[in-house]
Amino acid sequence: MEKIYILLVEDQREVLQAVAKDLSFFEDAFVIEECESAAEAKTIMETIYKNGDYVALIIADHVMPDKSGIDFLIDVNSDDRFIDTRKVLLTGLATHQDTIRAINSAAINHYLEKPWKSGVLKETVKKMVTEFILAKGIDYQPYLMTYLDQAVLFERLRRTT
Amino acid sequence: MFSLTKISKDKKWIKLSFAILIPTMLALMPTSWLPMEGLTIIQHRVLVLFFLAALFWVLEPIPIYATSILLITLELLLISDSAFIFFKNHGDGNFGASMSHQEIMGTFASPVILLFLGGFFLATAATKYRLDQNIAGVLLKNFGDKPKWVLLGLMCITAVFSMFMSNTATTAMMLSILIPVLKFFPAQDKARTAFVLGIPIAANLGGIGTPIGTPPNAIALKFLSQSDLAFGKWMAFGLPVVIIMLTIAWLLLMFFYRSDTKQIKVSLPVDFQTNPKAVLVYVTFILTILLWLFDFVHGMNSYVVAMVPVTVFLSTGIINKEDLKQISWDVLWLVSGGIALGLALDKTGLAKTLINAIPFESLNPYSLFAMAAFIGLFMANFMSNTATANLLLPLIASIGTAVSGLELVGGSELIIVGTTLSISCAMSLPISTPPNALAYATGEIKTKDLARVGILIGLIGLIVVIGMMTILNALNFLK
Repeated sequence: MEKIYILLVEDQREVLQAVAKDLSFFEDAFVIEECESAAEAKTIMETIYKNGDYVALIIADHVMPDKSGIDFLIDVNSDDRFIDTRKVLLTGLATHQDTIRAINSAAINHYLEKPWKSGVLKETVKKMVTEFILAKGIDYQPYLMTYLDQAVLFERLRRTT
Repeated sequence: MFSLTKISKDKKWIKLSFAILIPTMLALMPTSWLPMEGLTIIQHRVLVLFFLAALFWVLEPIPIYATSILLITLELLLISDSAFIFFKNHGDGNFGASMSHQEIMGTFASPVILLFLGGFFLATAATKYRLDQNIAGVLLKNFGDKPKWVLLGLMCITAVFSMFMSNTATTAMMLSILIPVLKFFPAQDKARTAFVLGIPIAANLGGIGTPIGTPPNAIALKFLSQSDLAFGKWMAFGLPVVIIMLTIAWLLLMFFYRSDTKQIKVSLPVDFQTNPKAVLVYVTFILTILLWLFDFVHGMNSYVVAMVPVTVFLSTGIINKEDLKQISWDVLWLVSGGIALGLALDKTGLAKTLINAIPFESLNPYSLFAMAAFIGLFMANFMSNTATANLLLPLIASIGTAVSGLELVGGSELIIVGTTLSISCAMSLPISTPPNALAYATGEIKTKDLARVGILIGLIGLIVVIGMMTILNALNFLK
């Protein structure tokens, strides 16, 4: 069975670990990959793609040395290998212009503000992975009990014949 | 059987090897070893395919619809007149008759498949133009604000919808209406459980009501096709069973989960679209159902009528290319597999050979009837209802022709219908049906709630179904 990845991209190690800790709930079903830069995330995504696995979700910080989170997400958005990958921006320091670019050019699916609430982050991730699983046509049954957002799932299933 | 709690990776391989190994061993056995008089090589292969299908559908090492396709492909490769060269007849006297490949491939476009396609088109158009939610909103207004009547209302609406839409889609829609309302109940109020249980129960039972209510009905229709069972005729016995079972389920839920809440308000905004396309959807929906019900007036059978919504919706763009992709082709192909299995059992003569080898004649027709219904109910609690029907109904259809005393219970037709209805009564576990799984996933109900009510409904359902079949037999209904 293909693995489903959640990528965290954040240059500050302690923040990265805090996000990872909040998402440990998902560890049994998804692989949570911690990346300290956009470049590292890209390398990992290449490997995931080569192995035929899925990148369901990227949660990226904006302000990072070298490449910014939004620039990284713009790259991902134009890469058709990751067309269904959900993109979340997690930042406290985005300007008005950054936000416009994040929506228009990176087509982010969700914007989370720092400091984040653990519960909100968890619910957002649930919603994002549910959308990804449904978009990819992956069998949702094994994830149903714990990891899926019910409103998203029900709305999709209402339209099945 | 799928798992709701574990993301299992290794067990799949064990299941797969097991499901391949057993049929392979059976295949490698010389035909003469098998204790069946006159078994041909072709029939031997069909027997292997039957075991393979059974193991694959029960253990689910691959998706159930993939098993159907595997089955059809193997039939083409092994027993068709266009088989792989090694499997063709090389002058063996005991080879037996191969099947026409056109006939095997034709199962994809069986009339019952097209009947279901018609049903799918109606459901797709109805959800696209929000007809489902609007009708639910209108109907809900009539049930007041007392919890017991609201529960009855929700169950009735669910049952009616699941007669025309998939049980899963109906459950998803009704649960999404219900969940926001639940927060008005106090946390300890047992009525929460009653409401969340009521939806999947009504959805499972509602499928019994019409030929297109649930895929097992399609397989039943296929094996009844000699008697050409019409839409209205099915509803004449299906609907009473739904009404009786729904009432019993409602009473059971009120008995087990008495509500402390005095008032509950469930309402949905009603907002019918009035544009020409939406109106055409409403008209076509009503027209199709009327045509289905009054086939004796206009002479078109249900299968032909099913082409009406397909054509209307496609030519007006109500259903476009993208919507077409949303059709559950997997369900249609799953059903095709069952039809192909039945075809192989019948056309290769394996059914007759089996019947000669096993003394079915000595069976009491009444116990045979009860046994078939019970086995259907039992199996469907653990595996897909459609896969259960795929395996059982072809067998029953062939046994039915052999057992002489069967006229007493109305012949194989009534056993097929009885078993099909019993399959829809199987709902005692979260994994029994997708509606059960969805309700269970809300976290509002426990396995023991489902087991308690589900087992009772299964057993009462068996009695109601057998009772109904006895009445139909007395009336000579399916003759």
